[in-house]
Amino acid sequence: MVGTIVFSKRDKLFFLSLLPLSISLLAVLVVSVTTIALHSLDAFQHFGLALFASSIWNPEREVYGLLAPVIGSLTTSAIALLTALILSIPLAITIAEYLQGALKSVVSSIVELMGGMPTIVYAVWASQYLVPFLKQFAMEPLHSALPFIPLFSCKPVTGFSVFAAGVAIGISIVPYVTTLILEAYQSIPVMYREACYGIGATRYESIKILLSLARPAIIAALVLGFARALGETTIAVTTVGNSMYLSSCLFAPGYTVSALIASQFANAYLYQYAETVLYSSILVVVLIAIALSFYGSTTIVRWRLRVVV
Amino acid sequence: MYSWRKLREKLFTCLIIALSVLAIAPVLHIILTVFANGFAVIAKAGTSFFTDLPPTPLSKEVGGIAPSIAGTLLMTAISLPIAVTLGLFAAILTAELPSNPLSLAVDAIAKSLASIPTIAVSMIVYTLVVVPMKSFSALAGAVALAVIALPYTYTYFSTALRSVPSVYREAAFAIAMSRWGAVVRVLIPVARKALTTGVLMTVARVMGETAALLFTAGRFRTGVSFSPTAPADAIPLLIFDYILSPYAVWHQVAWGATALLLLAYLMVFLATKLIVKEVRL
Repeated sequence: MVGTIVFSKRDKLFFLSLLPLSISLLAVLVVSVTTIALHSLDAFQHFGLALFASSIWNPEREVYGLLAPVIGSLTTSAIALLTALILSIPLAITIAEYLQGALKSVVSSIVELMGGMPTIVYAVWASQYLVPFLKQFAMEPLHSALPFIPLFSCKPVTGFSVFAAGVAIGISIVPYVTTLILEAYQSIPVMYREACYGIGATRYESIKILLSLARPAIIAALVLGFARALGETTIAVTTVGNSMYLSSCLFAPGYTVSALIASQFANAYLYQYAETVLYSSILVVVLIAIALSFYGSTTIVRWRLRVVV
Repeated sequence: MYSWRKLREKLFTCLIIALSVLAIAPVLHIILTVFANGFAVIAKAGTSFFTDLPPTPLSKEVGGIAPSIAGTLLMTAISLPIAVTLGLFAAILTAELPSNPLSLAVDAIAKSLASIPTIAVSMIVYTLVVVPMKSFSALAGAVALAVIALPYTYTYFSTALRSVPSVYREAAFAIAMSRWGAVVRVLIPVARKALTTGVLMTVARVMGETAALLFTAGRFRTGVSFSPTAPADAIPLLIFDYILSPYAVWHQVAWGATALLLLAYLMVFLATKLIVKEVRL
């Protein structure tokens, strides 16, 4: 790159003139994380880790337990991840391998369109169409066929459940994960593909080989998708059922951390500890999300350096 | 007669295509249902949908969503310049001085910032802006929106600036332009279309954001206000509240508002596509 080899006096001036506004990102991150950390301090001091050992929300008596929402967040994100995994890899392969010309650009545009669509639109659709659909065609059949598995043991009553929220969030992160997988898949040098065809591999066999080559990047894409699913709020609130009850069954209504905050934070100032407890719950989510996204993005960069030379 | 290898090939292709169709199907169904439900409501309400106040829960009339439209416009107008300015400066820094430690840090920070849940940003802005100001306000909402848009705006801009071939930069230096001169008179004009796309995508993100406004904007639905320090409403916020409510008329309003939001998003999206189509460097 030009100009970076020597840091001349003029470059220094240029650098300094950019400095104040460009460190705003750093400032925002620092302010955000310290605000969350400072405000959750009270909860950790007062309740300790017992906060994460029970599931109760009773601000009138100042009794709190965040086990259900934390587990709920992790479970919905896991289901979302599974949904995204099942749908994203085939979609990426279709775009990369099977489509050509106009159809390819139309499908890529649709993926892009999905990716930027406001989550509230997904939320409205999911709560009015997807949840009844899943109840009828996924939850009830699974429950009647496999009631002995704890995950499917309860009868879906309204359909609003951890399972529904997971699938809905999964659908919303499909474009994000697809884009990441597609980028990785298409950046594999063409010589690998040529080598596959050279030894007489069919398309299926060469896709299998290329996918195994891209596996670290795909795993990283899924980790990034999981991080995104953890923070999803609007879709979670409208589909998860908002119940503080911890159940091993996926078809029972539950809570996620962000759904709990969305429904309780507005009134939290009325009570002594409610606000700080909510802050501590989001601290957990933020730390997990930042760690995962850091891991995911560095893994992709490292993979690219190794495979795409 | 097919061999197993050929059969497996066919089965695999069918499975992949079927799952891809399944992956695309939701978005098509979303667009269909939202427009079918929403435009029916808007047609029923007529132009008053854009000028009236929202209905009371038991009202027979659909009313309108004027306060939310005003609020969304106002908050987008305030947050957009903040996000664009800060994002542009950060992007210029990382595009021009890519191996500088600060640039590497800014890149990593943008990624971390994008992974902070938007509801967390809402809580932070509530504590840092709403509580000291003693009231919800459009300004607080706009600050939250700008914080959420910033990492994305930065990423769009830095991709745009980095895609400019280095020959342009070298040519600028060859005619003795200063660094700032090269940025302002060469780099930005060359990348202008990609930059405009970035601005439009920021608009799309800002106008559809819900969680960031939950505890910041307030829910002022009894009149149309353009004051930055007064509470405001936003279209996504109205949809969120109304779709969770048990009232049929509010559900209708929510569908109408969703159709309006989706239409606005589609138009912005289409605009970005048209701009990109023109650019062929």
